[in-house]
Amino acid sequence: MTGWRPTSALGRALVLGAVGVALALVAGDPAVVVLAAPFVVLAAVMLVHRPTREPRIDARLDHVALQEGLGTTSRLTLDGAEDAEYVTRAAGRPPYVAQRPHDGRVGGLVAHGVPAIEISPRRWGRRMLGEENVALYTRWAGFRFGPVVRGGQPVRVLPTTAPYDSRAEVPQPLGLVGRNRSRRTGSGTELAGIRPFLAGDRLRRINWRVSLRTGNLHVVTTRAEEDTGVLLVVDALADHGVSGGVGGAASSMDLTVRAAAAIAEHHVRAGDRVALRVVGRGREQVGYGAGARHLRRIQDRLAAVRVGEAGEGTLHLGVTGGAVVVVLSPMLAESIGTVAASLTKRGVAVLVVDTLPPDAEPAVAEGADPALAALAWRMRRVERSVVLDRLAALGCPVVAWRGPGTLDDVMHRLARRAQVPRVVTR
Amino acid sequence: MILRATVFVGLLVALLMTGPAGHWPPWWLVLAFAGLAAVAAAVPDSPVVAGAGLLVLVWWSVSLGDGVPASVLVAAVALVAAHVAALLASYGPREMPVDRATVLLWARRAGLVLLTVPGAWLAARALRGEPEQPGIWVLGVAVACVATIAGTAAIEVRRTE
Repeated sequence: MTGWRPTSALGRALVLGAVGVALALVAGDPAVVVLAAPFVVLAAVMLVHRPTREPRIDARLDHVALQEGLGTTSRLTLDGAEDAEYVTRAAGRPPYVAQRPHDGRVGGLVAHGVPAIEISPRRWGRRMLGEENVALYTRWAGFRFGPVVRGGQPVRVLPTTAPYDSRAEVPQPLGLVGRNRSRRTGSGTELAGIRPFLAGDRLRRINWRVSLRTGNLHVVTTRAEEDTGVLLVVDALADHGVSGGVGGAASSMDLTVRAAAAIAEHHVRAGDRVALRVVGRGREQVGYGAGARHLRRIQDRLAAVRVGEAGEGTLHLGVTGGAVVVVLSPMLAESIGTVAASLTKRGVAVLVVDTLPPDAEPAVAEGADPALAALAWRMRRVERSVVLDRLAALGCPVVAWRGPGTLDDVMHRLARRAQVPRVVTR
Repeated sequence: MILRATVFVGLLVALLMTGPAGHWPPWWLVLAFAGLAAVAAAVPDSPVVAGAGLLVLVWWSVSLGDGVPASVLVAAVALVAAHVAALLASYGPREMPVDRATVLLWARRAGLVLLTVPGAWLAARALRGEPEQPGIWVLGVAVACVATIAGTAAIEVRRTE
């Protein structure tokens, strides 16, 4: 509803004032005039402040991208609203969004500043925030403009990077420059050995103590420091458990996305190349890259993850040699277990991060027998434990996500194993 | 909640104020009117509030005739309070609180509007018993209107400056 319209208060003042005076004149009752007089005055004042122009209302958010748990402010801009005295805002209540005021309804005098609504998305994803109804009132509330609907703005809610850090070296560094100790010698700082001097060796690498003792020139060799490729595989085939938003209970997708964001941030800051592959309805993917801008691209894609079946066809992750594959999954889908096992057999360093919440329960469809659903869920968990055992037997470590240091132990073991020659299936 | 309670109490008090002048409304009327006032308090943006106000005017006209008791002043204040409370309550959805500045502004406005009540009451008492002069009431109300509007305009001009 747009345009200025008389309010019920104006109608009430007109009716009570006019009927009161008429009643007094007809019935000759002066007491009714005393009752009606204030309403005659009210109606007259309301009509005097009749609005002359239509305002333009625009609502904006301070930010269009923010992390879950952080907040932004929805501000209202009024243009040509000289006739308006009071503004009312009633925002919607989208899921996983906290607001201040709590119910998103606020009003105030325009002269004191248009009241703002603070909005804080509580869960990652793409959300439409700031949708609201706005109404303006003239002086003495004789006329109302609206309520008009102001559409929200799409906001990218990036996943919080769960507290994560790792001191473990990656198994197979194979790149240009980085901080991971490589197997091959190069211009690093880590001592690899001492060997006789060869033509082309730098003089500053000569070890004089050994050279004097042996009588021949010897040089110090060091290990190269290289970056590595980390491929994050996110299982978005289904979301198990209940999400309470940031600070609340976490579903499997919450754990997966937040863990992926944390691992990506850790490796990007370490100078490694990180890629993302989402196995789900959206099939989102980001190629290998490094740097802050690349990290932001990964976070954007994680915020846009769509949960659902990926469709028919064989799952190809496009793993390159030397990359470390981190699979983040509740391990309830057969395809994920299969791909992890086949990569491990090929000799790729694969690490599975189990993101199934311990208290996850199945979502029982309406009309389904709860006992039957509970039985099916138990069977599925048994199958899952069998898959995890088989992966472990193949040499693919499986760890539950627990924040800082989650991957340290298994990364150390993978790095040690990478030094040992082994037979792989091609 | 306070605003809605004010709507209910204001309407009920406006009706019952004929009592001190010796004209108590019958119990069934009070009961029915209380129900109407409760509905008016629940939906302050509806015409029910105006309907309840009209019922008050009709009851005062029917019960008192040409009497102008002092209790009409209290009834006028209660009726205006109910009207302003309904207006404030209809500024937004049910759960929306009304800020202090707005309440104070409307309290001042209600006080300004109520200045007409003692004037009208004094005029009614002075003219009681005079020969029928319908024109004088219209003239009186018109003068009150003009005076109030002029006063309001003067106040707002001074605030703008």
